[in-house]
Amino acid sequence: MNEKKLRSKSKHDRMVNAVIYIVLILISIVWLFPFVGLVLQSFRSYATEYGGMVAYMVPKEFSLDNYMWLFGSESSFPRWYLNTLIIAIFVAILNTIMIVAVAYALSRSRFAGRTFMMQLWLILGMFPGFLTMICLYFLLKQFGLTQQGAIPGLILVTCASSGMGYYVCKGYFDTIPKALDEAARIDGASNARIMMTIIMPLTKPIIIYTALTAFMAPWCDYVFASYVAFGYSDSYNVAVALTRWVWTNDYQGYYTRFCAGGVLVAIPVTILFMCLQKYYVEGVTGGAVKG
Amino acid sequence: MSEKKGLSSSVSRGFTRFGRNLAEIGTTFKEGDWTAKLSFVIMGFGQLVHKQFLRGVLFLGLEILFIYYMATFGAAYLVKLPTLGTVETYVDKSGIVPITVYGDNSFLILLYGILTIFVIAAFIFIWRMNVGQQRQIQKLKEAGRPLPTSIQDLKSLLNEHFAATLLAIPNLGIFVFVILPIIFMICIAFTNYDANHQSPTNLFWWVGFENFKNLFSMGTSGYGSTFFTVLAWTLVWAFFATFLNFFLGLGVAIMINKKGIKFKKLWRTILVVTIAVPQFVSLLYMYKLFANDGLVNTWLLNLGIIKSYIPFWSNAMYARVLIILINVWIGIPYMMLMTTGILMNIPEDLYESARIDGANAWQMFRSITLPYMFFVLGPYLLTSFTGNLNNFNVIYLLTQGNPTSMSLSGGAGYTDLLITWLYKLTVNDTNYRMAAVIGIMVFAVTAIISLVVYRLLPSVRDEEGFQ
Amino acid sequence: MNRISRREFLRGSAASLATLALTGAMTGVVSADEIEYGEGTITIWVADEVTEFTKTKAEEFLASNENYSGYTVSVESVGEGDAASNMITDVEAGADIYGFAQDQMARLVSAGALMELTGDYATFVAENNDSGAASAAMSGESTYAFPLTSDNGYFLYYDSTVITDPTTLEQILADCEAAGKGFYMEINSGWYQPAFFFGTGCTATYESDETGAFVGSDITYATDEGVVAFKKIIELAGSSAFYNGSSVGDATNAAAVVSGTWDSSAAKELFGDGYACAKLPTFTVDDTEYQMSGFGGFKLLGVKPQTEVGKAVVCMELAEYLTSAEVQLERYNEVGWGPSNIEAQADDAVQADEALSALAEQLAYTIPQGQYPDDFWTLSTSFGDDIIAGNYNDSSDEDLLAALTTFQETLQSYAG
Repeated sequence: MNEKKLRSKSKHDRMVNAVIYIVLILISIVWLFPFVGLVLQSFRSYATEYGGMVAYMVPKEFSLDNYMWLFGSESSFPRWYLNTLIIAIFVAILNTIMIVAVAYALSRSRFAGRTFMMQLWLILGMFPGFLTMICLYFLLKQFGLTQQGAIPGLILVTCASSGMGYYVCKGYFDTIPKALDEAARIDGASNARIMMTIIMPLTKPIIIYTALTAFMAPWCDYVFASYVAFGYSDSYNVAVALTRWVWTNDYQGYYTRFCAGGVLVAIPVTILFMCLQKYYVEGVTGGAVKG
Repeated sequence: MSEKKGLSSSVSRGFTRFGRNLAEIGTTFKEGDWTAKLSFVIMGFGQLVHKQFLRGVLFLGLEILFIYYMATFGAAYLVKLPTLGTVETYVDKSGIVPITVYGDNSFLILLYGILTIFVIAAFIFIWRMNVGQQRQIQKLKEAGRPLPTSIQDLKSLLNEHFAATLLAIPNLGIFVFVILPIIFMICIAFTNYDANHQSPTNLFWWVGFENFKNLFSMGTSGYGSTFFTVLAWTLVWAFFATFLNFFLGLGVAIMINKKGIKFKKLWRTILVVTIAVPQFVSLLYMYKLFANDGLVNTWLLNLGIIKSYIPFWSNAMYARVLIILINVWIGIPYMMLMTTGILMNIPEDLYESARIDGANAWQMFRSITLPYMFFVLGPYLLTSFTGNLNNFNVIYLLTQGNPTSMSLSGGAGYTDLLITWLYKLTVNDTNYRMAAVIGIMVFAVTAIISLVVYRLLPSVRDEEGFQ
Repeated sequence: MNRISRREFLRGSAASLATLALTGAMTGVVSADEIEYGEGTITIWVADEVTEFTKTKAEEFLASNENYSGYTVSVESVGEGDAASNMITDVEAGADIYGFAQDQMARLVSAGALMELTGDYATFVAENNDSGAASAAMSGESTYAFPLTSDNGYFLYYDSTVITDPTTLEQILADCEAAGKGFYMEINSGWYQPAFFFGTGCTATYESDETGAFVGSDITYATDEGVVAFKKIIELAGSSAFYNGSSVGDATNAAAVVSGTWDSSAAKELFGDGYACAKLPTFTVDDTEYQMSGFGGFKLLGVKPQTEVGKAVVCMELAEYLTSAEVQLERYNEVGWGPSNIEAQADDAVQADEALSALAEQLAYTIPQGQYPDDFWTLSTSFGDDIIAGNYNDSSDEDLLAALTTFQETLQSYAG
């Protein structure tokens, strides 16, 4: 009897698993579809086939024309790509430093005005960012950080306010026992020393998480970036440059080139993400959960 | 709880503190020696006399900087702040070509006027600090104790005052690039800065609550009904975008984590690709996919499932549903990653004892998994809800708020969130005055929801719940 | 006296000195040579296609006169739409010379982003361009820009292997439906809707003054003719062959597209051997036939208001050169933009151009586009979106008239 129940249970289990597999396969198809489509379109030649929108997915003939065009003399794509890369690298480094500094201070020190500061930042975060775009633009312009100076300008704006994103990182720091600090303090270490030599080595996942999210953001930023570049095309990032190809009438038939550009943008970010996925999960769950 | 009754008491506390400050400043002046008295005017003088060179030089330097700033820059703007400028731009047409002579720039007057007010406030604070140090010098001298040296001051930055060192630059950045702009934009809500009053050619000025009246006026020219339509959709959207994603993401995570399911890593990786590919690429592709002549319609037509194309983006209802679905496509991977981590953390013995009590899978999900998830992810769901209220990218990259309608004013569309509407008002119409008012409303909505929900969160109500 | 007002004072006095010198110049005491030309960079914003062309031409021009030797040019590809909105956001950082579609002009004037053309420059514009182009460059009695093209109108591109007769809308739709192909027209745009409304005899025009403000309007949509046009648009939107859109590059299933000359190369590529163009078709409502009308529009080149005489003069001269007969013709040969200059229009090559002749044929039925407030376009889009969403599908003639009355009254409220 007991055996029979077990067998029926495992049969039931197999059924459930089969359903799950089917669902997962369907999900995978739906999730991968846009990327497969994107990649396929990028191989449709704008020169010999057609560069605009078409109602079929697989190109009649595979070609690298779009990619060659992107790196040819007619386009500034490499320049835009480099701009974005520079922004992303600087933002990743500086943001991480800012966030870690803030998170550490808030997690480890108790000082007058601490709660006030945290509450104020929380409230500030509820104001929609777009509202202040025009004001930020004129502020940056005053420092000469628009148009020709748009790249450092973007880095400055992104990093300056990054301290407000301390939340996840602080949550992670909170999970590190304070006893470690105490022990070191008894040994006579200064606060700065404790942070650098004791706490930091324990926070690799959250640091990678912070840097990774910071690195990914600039690849998507087109609203403020186009504002700051203000018509100076050498300062565009890839998002600004590529969205123009699909949104402006001047660029008929640039759709496949947009796809090729999109693929080139997606590749490094995806690879990086794949490699660091483990830390990402640890950071997200470790930090957000504790909050 | 204590914060609630705190408002009136903190106001009265503020007054008491202010009074105490004044009293201390008075005592410092009365009891101080001549160096302390002189330091009231020449900051840092007392410190310099007492060989605290670092402090002395800093205070003196700041005072000189302040005076220089006010004389060359700040004062001029501050004076014009009440009117936002009176000198009009004019065009001199007497020559071969007309020459423009620019007058006051209301925008810069407002911006630098506010900045100057803050500079003055900061200066008063620093001045108070300076007076405080005079008092400290007095007391230490009376007690016959040594004064802290410059070296000690510097060292304290890495130890006692390490938090201040760490927070200095982030605070400065947030002040200049977040607080100042926000206050500036709040002020804009009380001016008539729009397409017809555009700096530097035209002046704008204070108009009081006119824009707020306009937002809530229900007439044909008012924004009232549009505002509430957009607000309602914003809330509906944020609700679905948060909770649909949460449940589906949790579902997928449970499926992948189920014992006996193979290739766990592969499934996860496939989903995670969506996080890594920039949204402006994937969402623009999605938009084209569902266009009237896009791939989806073409296939459905070719398969004979439909007779004529489905107007996914031009029908308000279809567009709204589709946006929510596409957002599921974006959101599930995040949720899947998060919930996976948490699922693994749920103590196995909770399930074990439930199983002994004869609970089935659904019951266990309802009474163990879900409460645990809500408990742990409560704060995250709240932030993600408020984040979705302001989810610009998904809406703008897909529909740009369209379809619009004659029954909505201000160029708003049926899929517009408050934030995308605000963006369109700024960028397309340069209607900054209304954008600022809407921005303040967005803030109010976000703040109210956060406050209410925060008090309901299990992890806030019951801190020990699952430990 | 603080620094700011002192600077203003100095600037003011410099301007009045310059004024004195120039007043002298006008009375013949001082010649143009005595203008202090100065030096600097002149930024130009034009559409992507003509960036290289404009750069070459502008450099040639500056090199041709040694007075201008202090200047260099920097040409950026900024589309007409972006150029206008950037100029409005921040005039100071904007380009010195920029191209824009005329529907933005009133906005640009009221934002102070255009220098008025006076004296010889205004005469140049009036005498050398077709009358539509010349009046498109004016707001009130003042001229504000140099006409660049007269081809900013629309007509029909079609695939002659699918469409048997491009002269009636009904036949085009029938052919498309039979072939499972699409007829593309952007009816949720205030620019394309008038094809129907003007076609049945309605009008919609605004009057603007020299500050770019709208002071009057003449709109007759809420009439029986308006209802006729409205019904036809609703019928069109209900056709299974109808697609809302005007951009050839985005059309995947097109047999016919209503668009302008900027799409000609994309259309050639899309339709291949079947490529053909024609004036817009006629349409029939209750046995009466109407010819589709629309706007004849123009692209303009504007100069930003300047604070220094020298640079102002160089910019004006350069803009005039870039829109002269010679350069317009070269530009046509290079990228196919239809000239606004009468002399260039008369050129044989221009006369023979397929797309341009379809446009010219259509122009006989259109009205030259004047100034329209920005809200006109926004509201028209909402109006069109309502039609496409099917909100009027079951409406009676009275309902339609009521909707048109609201539409008209709101449009009228934008003036004055």
